[in-house]
Amino acid sequence: MAHLTFKKGVHPPSNKSFTEHRSIERIPVPETLLVPLSQHLGVPANPVVQKGDHVAVGDLLGEAPRLISARIHSPAAGVVKRIVDQPLPGGNLAQYVEITVDREATERHTFPGNDVDPASVSREQLLEIIRAAGVVGMGGATFPTDVKFSPTKDKSLDVLVVNGAECEPYLTCDHRVMVEETEALMRGCRALHNAYRFEAIYIAIEANKPDAIKAFEDLIAVYSDLPIKVVSLSTKYPQGAEKMLVRTVTGRVIPTGKLPLDVGAVVCNVQTLFAIYEAYFFRKPVIERVLTVSGAGIDRPKNIRALVGTPLELLVEHCGGITGPVNKVVAGGPMTGTSLPTLDYSVSKGSSGFLFLTNADVETENPCIRCSRCVSVCPMNLMPLKLAAYSRAGRYSELKRLAVNSCFECGSCSFVCPAKINIVAYVRHAKKYIRLHNARENKR
Amino acid sequence: MSAKAGGFVLTSSPHIFSKTSNAKIMVTVMAALLPAVVMSVAYYGIRVVFLYVLSVTVAMATEAVTKIFRRQDWRSILDGSAALTGVLLVMTLPPAISPLLVALASGFAIFIGKEVFGGLGANIFNPALVGRAFLSAAYPVAMTRFSAPRPLFAFLGRSADTVSQATPLAAARFEGVTTPWMDLFLGQVGGSIGETSAVALIIGGVVLMWLKIVNWRLVGSYLGTVFLLAGIAHLMGPNQYPTALFHLFSGGLMLAAFFMITDMVTSPVTNLGVIILGIGAGLIVVLIRLFGAFPEGVMYSILLMNAATPIINRYTDTRPFGAVRQEGRRV
Repeated sequence: MAHLTFKKGVHPPSNKSFTEHRSIERIPVPETLLVPLSQHLGVPANPVVQKGDHVAVGDLLGEAPRLISARIHSPAAGVVKRIVDQPLPGGNLAQYVEITVDREATERHTFPGNDVDPASVSREQLLEIIRAAGVVGMGGATFPTDVKFSPTKDKSLDVLVVNGAECEPYLTCDHRVMVEETEALMRGCRALHNAYRFEAIYIAIEANKPDAIKAFEDLIAVYSDLPIKVVSLSTKYPQGAEKMLVRTVTGRVIPTGKLPLDVGAVVCNVQTLFAIYEAYFFRKPVIERVLTVSGAGIDRPKNIRALVGTPLELLVEHCGGITGPVNKVVAGGPMTGTSLPTLDYSVSKGSSGFLFLTNADVETENPCIRCSRCVSVCPMNLMPLKLAAYSRAGRYSELKRLAVNSCFECGSCSFVCPAKINIVAYVRHAKKYIRLHNARENKR
Repeated sequence: MSAKAGGFVLTSSPHIFSKTSNAKIMVTVMAALLPAVVMSVAYYGIRVVFLYVLSVTVAMATEAVTKIFRRQDWRSILDGSAALTGVLLVMTLPPAISPLLVALASGFAIFIGKEVFGGLGANIFNPALVGRAFLSAAYPVAMTRFSAPRPLFAFLGRSADTVSQATPLAAARFEGVTTPWMDLFLGQVGGSIGETSAVALIIGGVVLMWLKIVNWRLVGSYLGTVFLLAGIAHLMGPNQYPTALFHLFSGGLMLAAFFMITDMVTSPVTNLGVIILGIGAGLIVVLIRLFGAFPEGVMYSILLMNAATPIINRYTDTRPFGAVRQEGRRV
């Protein structure tokens, strides 16, 4: 079978063997949860609970004040101990609801299935279900899913791409979900299909996960009412990036500054699809997710189903603790993840993994020798060496000409740079400057 | 074990890197030059080993001294770029060149060719060729006395003889004598130290292209342009102009195509850019060889096109994925 792919990109060592064949484990309900009220792209949720309030599993903790936001629900039964300000990975401050958990009540709680007939649910009702459950993109971007699935009036939405590429090294949580929850994901597709009547549903998986590909192919006959195709993709980074994936699978090119919706496609990460399935058939909000704890510096790397708000220290403990000379902890994958200064963080809807890297390279920068490797790997066909140089020189008009905002910070350029220039850091600086500058201009 | 660890390194993503480095690239290029270096020793005697060592030493010392005077880290000499310049420079010089001139050219190459621009990555011209151009201008006689290579591997003992022999290009240009291209291919002809054995250069060059350190489009467009234009000239005047194969394998063209014009710092960064560079340089080679005052045009073809590289880079940016043309069409 020929594998499909996109132009350019890189082949970082996959390091998935730590966890790819380890079944998802559920860890004991923690005694304390720290639930951030900002787990999504957009405006943080407003707290609707106060110190001392009793909450049950699935109760609303935070309401979405605007369209680009998401509801936050209580992952456990217990008492709100306090609402505190703490940093998110990356440094932004957020409100956290700290819950003292009633473990027994939490474990007792179940979400009964409702035998909903997919044919009877309209698109509007489906979007309301998704919104009410606080579903966001769980591949890491955490964009509100209901917004993502809302095409404007003049646009049609005819292709669904289920993103099971999982191209980041180390991460295997989506892989395990595809293998262990194949049936649920197919039912999720059916729920979406009944509301949207897609012309095609592509389940896109990198070729390094043959068991996941087979699991879906085995079920296709059962779901013959759906226009599903399982697509095997080349194992190449960043294959799972939205623009690369849509181009690979459908041949459609998303224009600069536009979304998949603009070419009639919607991309849905497998865990987002699983969240939609749970919301649809069980009215269960997003209160947990599967994530990968991995790296050479953790004793027993695992795929874990963890409640949102689970302290990182508990995950570490459950995985046997830190062993090697860990000098870097990363939230997310090693190519796009955020490094953490301490373990004082907790699981959120976008937590795809936590990595414990030993002897992580901290490189000093050397002169650019214009080897052009960054140019030859950039999936967005940009000129990374120029972006870095102009960012350093503060020449923002040149940066706009070179479409700096098209960069989605995949890290391929920094990965291949022989001079060890962290091009992404320079690009990020330039994008932030341009964003803040534009905001100020607009205010005037 | 301690779950309550801390003090982790904070950096921007990505957190993993390929194992490559500037120094590894330089060392790889030097390794690829090894076949040609071995052949040069085989042809011109143990003396050229001394010249290589001398040139590399002076190149690294010049860079170190410059860095110290500029209060920068002199350990940049360990990145291998100065050493590579030293090796390449010797390969472009006549076998009988005096050690004094080699040292002079090597220091000039690094100081004027590289460090005055700001060091590695900031220079406009290929430093080795700057050194060679300096000697050509200042010591033209020493630069045009080419000794004949000896029979292969009879190199232990005597120093290179200084009996002048015209290079194949000079012979063809001024005496109307053409050398069979197979002799050129193997290197049994007079010429600069490292340029004579095309086959040794090609072996190294192919390895670099396979490793993607050398862009085959640049090599191809440069050699292809020379081949095509020289071929056309030969067809139009078979008695006046040598064949295309003669041009391909004579002079420093192979050395230049694989190891000189492909210098990363002084060549463009996009595929379109290097093709423009290659065509331009190929055109200059043929013009100089056929119509110019010199028998050989490779050095100037590269130096002249080096000067054009910044502007080529300016106008050959890649088109971003999803960029919309002015008509509003997607590309």
